[in-house]
Amino acid sequence: MPGEVDTAVAEEDVQLVAKCQAGDTAAFGELVTRYRTKAFGMIYNMVRNEQDAWDLAQDGFVKAWKSIDRFRGQSSFYTWLYRIMTNVTIDWLRKKQIASVAEFDENIALAGIEPGSATAPKDEPPPSRRLEQAEIRQRIDAAIMKLSAEHRSVLVMKEIDGLQYQEIADALGCSIGTVMSRLFYARKKMQGLLKDLYENV
Amino acid sequence: MKTFEENFTAWVDGILSEEERLAFEATLDKDAPGERNRLLQLGELLRNHSPAPALSNPDFFNHQLLERIAAENGAPARRGQSPWFVPRFIFAGASCFAAAVLLFHFLIPVGPVENPSSAPAYVAQFYNARTDDPDVSATAFHSKKDNVTVLWLDGLDYLPETADLK
Repeated sequence: MPGEVDTAVAEEDVQLVAKCQAGDTAAFGELVTRYRTKAFGMIYNMVRNEQDAWDLAQDGFVKAWKSIDRFRGQSSFYTWLYRIMTNVTIDWLRKKQIASVAEFDENIALAGIEPGSATAPKDEPPPSRRLEQAEIRQRIDAAIMKLSAEHRSVLVMKEIDGLQYQEIADALGCSIGTVMSRLFYARKKMQGLLKDLYENV
Repeated sequence: MKTFEENFTAWVDGILSEEERLAFEATLDKDAPGERNRLLQLGELLRNHSPAPALSNPDFFNHQLLERIAAENGAPARRGQSPWFVPRFIFAGASCFAAAVLLFHFLIPVGPVENPSSAPAYVAQFYNARTDDPDVSATAFHSKKDNVTVLWLDGLDYLPETADLK
């Protein structure tokens, strides 16, 4: 989450950014190592597909590198990076137009669902429970994919990433009122799509 | 003045003041608390069942990214480091303007405009034909100024003896 980078890390980030601005790609590699997991997770929650999330995270970091000389330290590096990643992802969602017209995509929904996988840690729930969880995830994925890019991003940032309204507004470049309004409609739509699920789980 | 949607969202997330909450709840129907609980359950469901998978091959992720950056150009664009620095959009605008001026100069003739009356008299082409031999063609012109019609034969080595041209 943008606001959760501690002060020491933020100071190190500033030093690394200064090196990047001098053309040091190794310093940028260090920043990537720090934030790649968060960036990937945030993007994944919006696109619900690992390969797309990987590609978009790459695009986002490339964009960050190209414009790093414009980073002035007015926010933390991660807040700045988060904004870039969000924009890259929303642009992609708009272009793909999967927001409002997407049908249930079996290839996406089945990604990561391997109840009998030999690589699964032993302390995971039994296969029947995992299958049930996988089905719930499928339903959630399918429902989220029915949201527009704007509604989806607000919902994911608030409910899954746990951002505050102001942080969402900063990331999306809109007002808090707009964030709250979009959240209202996104929740209503999800409520209709998942009603049977959250009342029974 | 907040909209209903904004108030509703703030109410669900519990960020209304006590006074605002009471005022807003007075506008809602009896099922409102149940509705709020359902929306909170929805949020919980999303949080509990939406863990992003771990980034697979993180080292390869870095490797691929840095390779891509190296291939695309290397260092980020520097700004303001050179006294000759010109922002790209200004440079692009100046280039377009210069190209337009050059094109205008070379493609559009500039100079004294001829008096239409001094232009060559109108010549009408009213006949054009070719024979089986692709090298031979016949074209007829009429010059209004000279009041003469010209039959232009092209590609003939000689005129047939039978031709009776005057």
